[in-house]
Amino acid sequence: MKNVSRFAWLLVVLLVLTACGNDEDKASKENKVSADSGRTEITYWYAFGDKIGENNENLVKMFNDSQDEILVKAEFQGGYGDLHSKTQAAFAAKNAPEVTLNEIASMGVFARSGMTQDLTPFIEKDNDINLDDFNPGLMGNSYVDGNIYGLPYLRSTPILYMNVSMLKDAGLDPKGPKDWKEFEEYARALTKEGTSVGMSMPVSIWYFEAFVGASGGDMLAAEDKEVAFNGQAGVEALEYWKRLSQEGILKIPAGDEASAQAAQDFANGRSAMIFGSTANLTNNLAIAEENGFELNTAFMPSNKVNGVPTGGANLVMTAGLSPEKQKAAWEFIKWMTAKEQTIYASKYTGYLPSRLSAVESEDMQSLYKEIPQYKVAVDQLQYGKARPMAEAYPEISTILADEITRSLLERDLSPKEALDQAAKLANPLLQ
Amino acid sequence: MKKNPFWKVINGIGLLLLICIFALPFVWMISTSFKTLGETMTFPPNWIPNQLLWENFSKAWNSGPFLKYFLNSTIVSVGILILQFATIIPAAYAFARYRFKGNNFFFGVTMVTLMIPTQLIFLPVYLQMSAFGLLDSLWGLILPFASSAFGIFLLRQSFKQVPEELLEAARLDQASEWKIIIKIMVPMAKPVLITFAMFSFIAHWNDYFWPLVMTTTEASRTLPLGIAKLREVDGGVAWNILMAGNLILVIPILIIFFFGQRQIIRAFVYTGVK
Repeated sequence: MKNVSRFAWLLVVLLVLTACGNDEDKASKENKVSADSGRTEITYWYAFGDKIGENNENLVKMFNDSQDEILVKAEFQGGYGDLHSKTQAAFAAKNAPEVTLNEIASMGVFARSGMTQDLTPFIEKDNDINLDDFNPGLMGNSYVDGNIYGLPYLRSTPILYMNVSMLKDAGLDPKGPKDWKEFEEYARALTKEGTSVGMSMPVSIWYFEAFVGASGGDMLAAEDKEVAFNGQAGVEALEYWKRLSQEGILKIPAGDEASAQAAQDFANGRSAMIFGSTANLTNNLAIAEENGFELNTAFMPSNKVNGVPTGGANLVMTAGLSPEKQKAAWEFIKWMTAKEQTIYASKYTGYLPSRLSAVESEDMQSLYKEIPQYKVAVDQLQYGKARPMAEAYPEISTILADEITRSLLERDLSPKEALDQAAKLANPLLQ
Repeated sequence: MKKNPFWKVINGIGLLLLICIFALPFVWMISTSFKTLGETMTFPPNWIPNQLLWENFSKAWNSGPFLKYFLNSTIVSVGILILQFATIIPAAYAFARYRFKGNNFFFGVTMVTLMIPTQLIFLPVYLQMSAFGLLDSLWGLILPFASSAFGIFLLRQSFKQVPEELLEAARLDQASEWKIIIKIMVPMAKPVLITFAMFSFIAHWNDYFWPLVMTTTEASRTLPLGIAKLREVDGGVAWNILMAGNLILVIPILIIFFFGQRQIIRAFVYTGVK
């Protein structure tokens, strides 16, 4: 007995030692390889696993194989939130990656706190890059205070998903509603008491931005000094949500899993329409096929104008690199956002192709012919607007979402009151 | 209390209800892990999947270097446990048995560390580990947990209950302090040690926050991070694959419980001197 336990302890100690030892061996081996070949080594951090992760790993491998001067190591770091906080911590510990991603609303925070590099001089010196080829609808968040800090990489925009089988049953045009008036009629016709609602939608600031944009308004006033969402456009948007929700044709799931709940409603045919990112299209097509309904996509409904937010991430370079690393990082960013890679990434993940020449390419055009649902999002980009980039915007979003939810739940709390209350809490954060 | 059949039935029903409450999420997880993505969304949910999709498990397992995650998790959890035993047993013995200047003060300081949340001190610890060059290594995951105030507290209480006569008898027989610890104290505190070991192992096996902060490459990641990766998708979550991954995560703990259960109960029943 005693021998057995002694043996077990020894085994454990050995296991620990060998495992730690292995890592060191591997690390030194890797260093040797790069030292031998004289390649500049840079690290690239990305967010999200699954298809998106594979896309990142594949592209990096292609880049490393395509030349022999730069060696990129791609490393997964979690969702956008994790990626951002880890980049900040690593920056403090002076071991930040050379290239990373910024979710577009965070471009401002990183640039203004000096963590990301101004790319303007690189773009001016480089004749290979044509900024005009990037889709203008996606460029809004690349500029911080007039300088370019990032290039569009994996980008999305919210669109309307519809269960066409339910639309046909209700005698509606499968093309979908164009404006708020039609959207309301669709939702009403598709609601069957007790079995299904027209629309299921979590309280999401991203969608709220789309509704405010469609009413011709903005979330923040010029120069981000105060909020603007409690103006005419914001009030109109929330009044619309509240009216539809009280009529019972718009379901608002609540709680942490509200988005999952809405997705589930749609998958089961308990809701005929949902909003969602373009990045969900591949998954939604698969679910629709499996659950036996036809799926179509449409623009976010317009009110006075068309105006939709975009989403996703830009590629950025961290600040404070040596000229050699800067050059390598720039080459990598340039390659990742070039036409061919944009096409590859868009086909692999369902994100938007960020270059106009990529949209025109035969590859993408044949994909759009085959799966026309993909094209809606690209077409919608002509109305794309930048997301607010104020440092306090994430916190303001939380406050705003709470007040919106309150107004939707409490019959007596008018949209104007709720938005004014949110503005009162949010404005000090912008000072 | 008299045991008549009526109370037995009520008792049984109560227990059954409790089991249902605790087992329901588990059963749901297992059932979801075999479904197709479309079937996970049906309402009301099917408890028994239409078909058993074993490939969900291979998909989850192949979504990352799961063997590496698994080894890392094992090394980290077991490594932490070994170091904790090595530090808390002598510390608890000293606090419980020695009268020295500042005994209460140092014990108080130890207790205070229990009240500081990890999130508050993670940045200084992170920078310290960075200075040691231990970021993104298994040592960086193990060393910050090399001791445990909770363990010292638990063990000190149980060491205090050992009768002084036993120790005096041992000292008369010229047993060294180490021998007293190993031959008398540790066996007497076995139930506490096993309880602590379970707590510690499960906490560090499941720990998400610290490995998330510390690791940047697959070489040093642990299982919970590998599972979380399945959830980190921009777009719909594949619940069936995620639940298959979760099942892979909890199975080792279930196995330990399954085999350890009798040991644990025995340890609780035979507590030291009667």
